[in-house]
Amino acid sequence: MAMSDKMPSAVRIALVGHTNTGKTSLMRTLTRDGRFGEVSSRPSTTRHVEGARLIADNEALVELYDTPGMEDPVALLEQIDALVDAARQSGESLDGPASIARFLELPEAEGRFEQEAKVLRQMLASDAGLFVVDARDPVLAKHRDELALLGRCARPLLPILNFVRDPEANEPAWRDALARLGLHAVIRFDTVAPERDGERVLYGKLATLLDAYRPAFEKLIASREREALARRGAGVHLIAEMLIDVAACRLRVEADASELASAIEGVNQRVRSREQACVDALLSLYRFGRDDVETGLLPLIEGRWEDDLFNPETLRTMGVKLGGGAAAGAAAGLGLDLMVGGLSLGVATAIGALAGGGWQTLRHYGDRLRGKLAGHQELTVDDAILRLLALRALDLLSALEARGHAAMTPFKQAAEASADWREGLLPPSIASARAHPEWSGLFGTMALEPEREAVVGALATELGKLGAAGA
Amino acid sequence: MKQIPDHSPDRFERRWLAESIRLLEAGRGPLADADAVRASRRAGGEFEDRVLVRALVLGEREGLLDALRDWRGFERLGLLIVALLALLSGFGMALGVLGDGTRPVNVVWALGGLLGLHLFGLLIWLIGMSLGGRDAGGLLGKGWQWLARRLARSASSILLGRARTDFLASAGLNRWALAAVTHLVWLLALLGAFVGMVLLFMLRGYQFTWETTILSGDFFAGLVAGLGWLPGMLGLEVPDVQTVQASGVGIVASEDARRAWAQWLLGCVLVYGVVPRGLLWAGCQTWFRRKRAALTLDLGLPGYLVLSDRLMPASERIGVTDPDHSASARGSSRQTHLPGVGAPTIVGIELRPERAWPPAIASGVIDGGRVDDRLQRKDALARLAAMPPARLLLACDARLSPDRGSLGLIGEMSACAADCRIWLVDGAAPDNARLGHWMEGLAGLGFEPGQIISGEEQALKWLAHGDE
Ligand SMILES: Nc1nc2c(ncn2[C@@H]2O[C@H](COP(=O)(O)OP(=O)(O)OP(=O)(O)O)[C@@H](O)[C@H]2O)c(=O)[nH]1
Ligand SMILES: [Mg+2]
Repeated sequence: MAMSDKMPSAVRIALVGHTNTGKTSLMRTLTRDGRFGEVSSRPSTTRHVEGARLIADNEALVELYDTPGMEDPVALLEQIDALVDAARQSGESLDGPASIARFLELPEAEGRFEQEAKVLRQMLASDAGLFVVDARDPVLAKHRDELALLGRCARPLLPILNFVRDPEANEPAWRDALARLGLHAVIRFDTVAPERDGERVLYGKLATLLDAYRPAFEKLIASREREALARRGAGVHLIAEMLIDVAACRLRVEADASELASAIEGVNQRVRSREQACVDALLSLYRFGRDDVETGLLPLIEGRWEDDLFNPETLRTMGVKLGGGAAAGAAAGLGLDLMVGGLSLGVATAIGALAGGGWQTLRHYGDRLRGKLAGHQELTVDDAILRLLALRALDLLSALEARGHAAMTPFKQAAEASADWREGLLPPSIASARAHPEWSGLFGTMALEPEREAVVGALATELGKLGAAGA
Repeated sequence: MKQIPDHSPDRFERRWLAESIRLLEAGRGPLADADAVRASRRAGGEFEDRVLVRALVLGEREGLLDALRDWRGFERLGLLIVALLALLSGFGMALGVLGDGTRPVNVVWALGGLLGLHLFGLLIWLIGMSLGGRDAGGLLGKGWQWLARRLARSASSILLGRARTDFLASAGLNRWALAAVTHLVWLLALLGAFVGMVLLFMLRGYQFTWETTILSGDFFAGLVAGLGWLPGMLGLEVPDVQTVQASGVGIVASEDARRAWAQWLLGCVLVYGVVPRGLLWAGCQTWFRRKRAALTLDLGLPGYLVLSDRLMPASERIGVTDPDHSASARGSSRQTHLPGVGAPTIVGIELRPERAWPPAIASGVIDGGRVDDRLQRKDALARLAAMPPARLLLACDARLSPDRGSLGLIGEMSACAADCRIWLVDGAAPDNARLGHWMEGLAGLGFEPGQIISGEEQALKWLAHGDE
């Protein structure tokens, strides 16, 4: 692509380490690409070097290279030491990179030590290395030899402690061992559940190590933070859309038992698939797949019989509709009257008023009034279900925010999130949605009015505050 | 992507299309867009460019692009109808105001009839614009939009219409569009009136008069001269004071006086009607066009944010840069064992430092020590080779990943003993997923499952006594 021509000098970072420590997993999390490479609990999964570019604001800033795990560093170091000794005997002194380069020319680099050779070759071709450590492992001679080999490549090396959240992690032992080797900058980064500012810390440390590339890393940090904020905003908005859809839903039902049961069944289904749609949208927003979450079934809706025909909000919106819509329409009609020379003053004005939205509101209200008189009832979704929907979705949102793209076990959605979902005040936006059945997309298409959008926006803001407080 | 026939959408229209797609998806849920996303990524560019490409591909598929072309037609048709109506009603206005010539024309009334409504409308428009308001752009413009909406009956057209209005209104541009149409309609109406007057003045003979009950003749003379000043600058005739005074008293038959009155009326309509509306129309139109071209999508809307990661992925794969050549499977290298007769030996391979060593071994069993670094490996191998034991127990940490290095060492050591068993320390832990990998790795070295022990007691018993 054109990007590589534009930015030839993207900083190259090699991900190296012992086998099975989570290099490919780290790659997945940093690239936000859950399908990069192959991740498996068995050792020596990755056998090649594979790269990916990190892009921010349309600019490729960093190139990351996943490498095979090192498996036999003890024997390799022995061989390279022998090479150096042999060279010294013939009066040649090989420094670190030269000794590595000499080794890479040997047939063993294509044979027994092919995996290690790939790592060292990539290390020499990179500006820095991330040394991924499984912090649960004890610090063994093989790890020290790995660090010695990588050290001979003379590239800055930043150790990354993976699996630090595990109770078996030996973090102090690793820090101590690394410090003894002169590696004082160490990062904790759990690839499956990275800390909130994990990436920022990682890129920040890399910027210190590679000062020439500091602007690129800072750009990357800023862009990733901006993206995270934007994603969160969009996520909350998606949840608000769902809640308004469900809250606004209103079904007129004959007061007969069998019809009632089928109506409730219908609503149940719609609400569930609406929740699924919201889950799907959230997953796609965070670039996860459907198998990343196990959806727990929503409890059944009992339905809510509501007599809010005369509730203040219904009446208020009626007034606004009639006032605003009709006034605009009437004005348009007046214009027509004036145009045709005042012939029909009055007629066009009246038509205009009805066209301006007053008519629909009137008819709608009339329908409901008639239904009421005819003994029909109106079915809406319980407050408790709305609360549960909100909690589950917010739960999922924060899980997705904290989830690395290396995670393999699906997130389990709670069937009954917590005890408090039955109580508490619902935000006022829900109440206003209740008065607008036409805002619900649950059965067919909704009216996308600016007023609906404003209410969705207000609810999203409210939910955003909630989620932030919880986090 | 198919070739887009004639007149592909311009930048504004593509943004409008993107807004329509956004509305569509808000109502109907996300569209299947794999190919659209692919096309958009291929096209590259800024986020907005990519959104536009996606919208174009989706719009084509969903028929919105065709609807957009139709919409152009509806707008033109709507404008044409309104324009014709305006011209005709302007003409009719001239006819109504001047009459059929049987009665003298009251000049002041005539001028009021010709310009009054227009000036009143202009005043309302100015007030509306200064107060702001989303759609404050003049009633006529709204009428035109309403007409276009009437013409566009299909669901796609309705969607497009809504998207357009909202999109323009979001930048306060809708009122300028409406204003431009309103001014255009008035311009045409006044032109119609002007042409109508010229025709009537050419083909009919009119007498001009003015009337008053309480005002003085001087007032009218001043009014006529004042209003006529500007048209006079353009070279049109203005009735002089005598003519004005005379017209108030009775009918003036003089041909000069009639021409002067006619020219004065035409001049006033031109200068106070046609010209200002024309200028305003041109101004609004230019302003609207300029602003519209600079109007960009609000990419902070959730409808777009949801797309950002897919259209502008945080990363892009480079691919394999150093492929794997080791097609040769790591063959199961069955070792030949030395016929050992030495004392049974236990060796700890890569054990955790916190693990106590040696375990409680029976007397007569040799502790081969911990083996971890290069020297320890060499020593241990040398000792084993010097006196191969009859039974060798290798203790390995089952919580580590079995790697090629460790397995190689185990292979080499086990070759130095007549019989070798592996004790997987902590291998009994139920949640240890790595046990299976150890089994596989050891099987590759030729170990049978029976030669792998995970219980300490069992392992030490075998070491002391062998298989009983
Ligand atoms: N719980 C947890 N599991 C992890 C973490 N990082 C990696 N894993 C798991 O560890 C195993 C190995 O991960 P990989 O990413 O394949 O490791 P690798 O270093 O690429 O391994 P090779 O390519 O075989 O050298 C997989 O089962 C991962 O799911 C982590 O931070 N937490
Ligand atoms: Mg890997």
